[in-house]
Amino acid sequence: MNQVAKYLPILPVLLAYAILFALGHTVSGTWQLVATLLFYCALGQAFNIFLGMTGYVDFGYVAFMGMGTYGMALAITKLAHVPELGAVVIVIGFALALLMATLLSLAVGAVALRLRGAYFAIATIGVNEGFRFLIEGARIWNGAEGMIFTAQLNEILGTERASRLMTYWADVMVLVIAVLAAAVTLFYMRNRVGYALTALREDEDAAKVMGINVTKYKIIAFITSACFAGLVGAASWALKTPYVFPPEVFEIHYTVEAIIIVMLGGAGTLLGPLVGGLIYGISKYYLSIFLPGLQLLVFAPVIIVIIIMFPEGVVGMLRQRTRNTVLGRFIV
Amino acid sequence: MLNVKRIESGYGAMQVLWQPSIDVKQGTITSLLGPNGVGKSTLLHTIFGSIEPWGGEVYYDGENVTRVPTHKKVEMGIALVPEGKHLFPNMTVYENLSMGAYRKRALADKEESLELVYALFPRLKERTKQLAGSMSGGEQQMVTISRALMTRPKLIMLDEPSQGLAPKLVGEVFDTIQKMRDEIGLTILLIEQNSDASLEAADFVYVMHEGIIKAQGTPDQIKGSTEIREAYLGI
Repeated sequence: MNQVAKYLPILPVLLAYAILFALGHTVSGTWQLVATLLFYCALGQAFNIFLGMTGYVDFGYVAFMGMGTYGMALAITKLAHVPELGAVVIVIGFALALLMATLLSLAVGAVALRLRGAYFAIATIGVNEGFRFLIEGARIWNGAEGMIFTAQLNEILGTERASRLMTYWADVMVLVIAVLAAAVTLFYMRNRVGYALTALREDEDAAKVMGINVTKYKIIAFITSACFAGLVGAASWALKTPYVFPPEVFEIHYTVEAIIIVMLGGAGTLLGPLVGGLIYGISKYYLSIFLPGLQLLVFAPVIIVIIIMFPEGVVGMLRQRTRNTVLGRFIV
Repeated sequence: MLNVKRIESGYGAMQVLWQPSIDVKQGTITSLLGPNGVGKSTLLHTIFGSIEPWGGEVYYDGENVTRVPTHKKVEMGIALVPEGKHLFPNMTVYENLSMGAYRKRALADKEESLELVYALFPRLKERTKQLAGSMSGGEQQMVTISRALMTRPKLIMLDEPSQGLAPKLVGEVFDTIQKMRDEIGLTILLIEQNSDASLEAADFVYVMHEGIIKAQGTPDQIKGSTEIREAYLGI
């Protein structure tokens, strides 16, 4: 496989996001839906780097999104009074989001990634709740009162630009993050990192025997995935809705949604999170319109059926069917 | 080549190895015999580092490698073929073998290693594109051993390679092990419950029981001792 052909599967990903973006722009009234879909796709794409590629289930994943949200919130509230910075504050916010997500993932990973399978999953549930109560109890970053920074955002950007950021640019940033996460996924898949991760996902003992430093690669996947979660939190939560409350940004519900999206689309595949995000987002959006309050009741059996029919996810199934065909080269 | 000195390890609070010591000489087949549950696999995994040693030392080529992490040991030329077939069933034979050449040092010699493996197991060369999971038990064992050879080992440790194989295939596996010693010049540490075949192939034998070495000697010495045979090997 030559260097260009290796990375061709990025094309369908780019195409799908381009169509989504164009749809939101041209058909009036669809931007809200598109924004929701982008959020779920980005969430899936980010989580897939860890869950999909290592096979480890992290139930505390949302905590990294929470870190990202706090990172952006802190940058905006602390730097709003420095007029020279202007919109650079947003860039600093993203950097801080990355840094905080990385630090938390290092701390969690160093301890939890020594555990395997179910033990890892159980350990991570605790991290999420524990961290939330630490912030509330120790009154870190305003504790349970949270932070509201609409005023500071207006001060930095001006009311008009700030409102444009919340309703439009924040979603575009989520789109960019989703594409970046997909690109990193493909890059990993096509390089030594990906081979190591595939080996350890399929059989961790065999991977060790082949001389793969499994802990190192698990931590790489964990940190990468956490960084993207931090960025998603910073863009989709902090910039779109300029406030942060601990119970909301540490809500385990989002982790569960991320797991569903990845499994539905196909864990460890490039297109899986995109497909999963679209299926999940569209179903959730329309179910809440047509069957308000009943969406979970309808959605749960649908997910069960899909998982039984395609245990490797929709894309996993498509990949099996198109193996050794021209189309198969793009379904990765 | 490998010297294990009064090694101790176990699981949780349960100690399994009570200071066994073994020496494996370069270019020989050393066999570790004993029934189920006496700590043979634990000993291999402790040498390899996938189980952390509690005490004692492991020397490889004169160097203390007791606390060296597993991936570094592979780099130094120690390979382990674990019990059961730890293959990647959804990958082809070729892909499985390629994974064996993961480390940079092994990757540089990949083509040469492939030739060596195909010479040892001509059947694998015909089946490079077959999914490993769809092969017979004996063939899967060949892939597992071959994948370990792809790491370019000097010392290879085999954990019950004949387990679950038909008697005819057991003979083949042992032939291969002898070939690895004679033709490639590998040093081999072998765990077996199949005492007869093991005693035939080995240059030196250790008999293990309840986490300690109960007897050692050449195969003839072990075979010659009715006491050892009856007490520990059941033959």
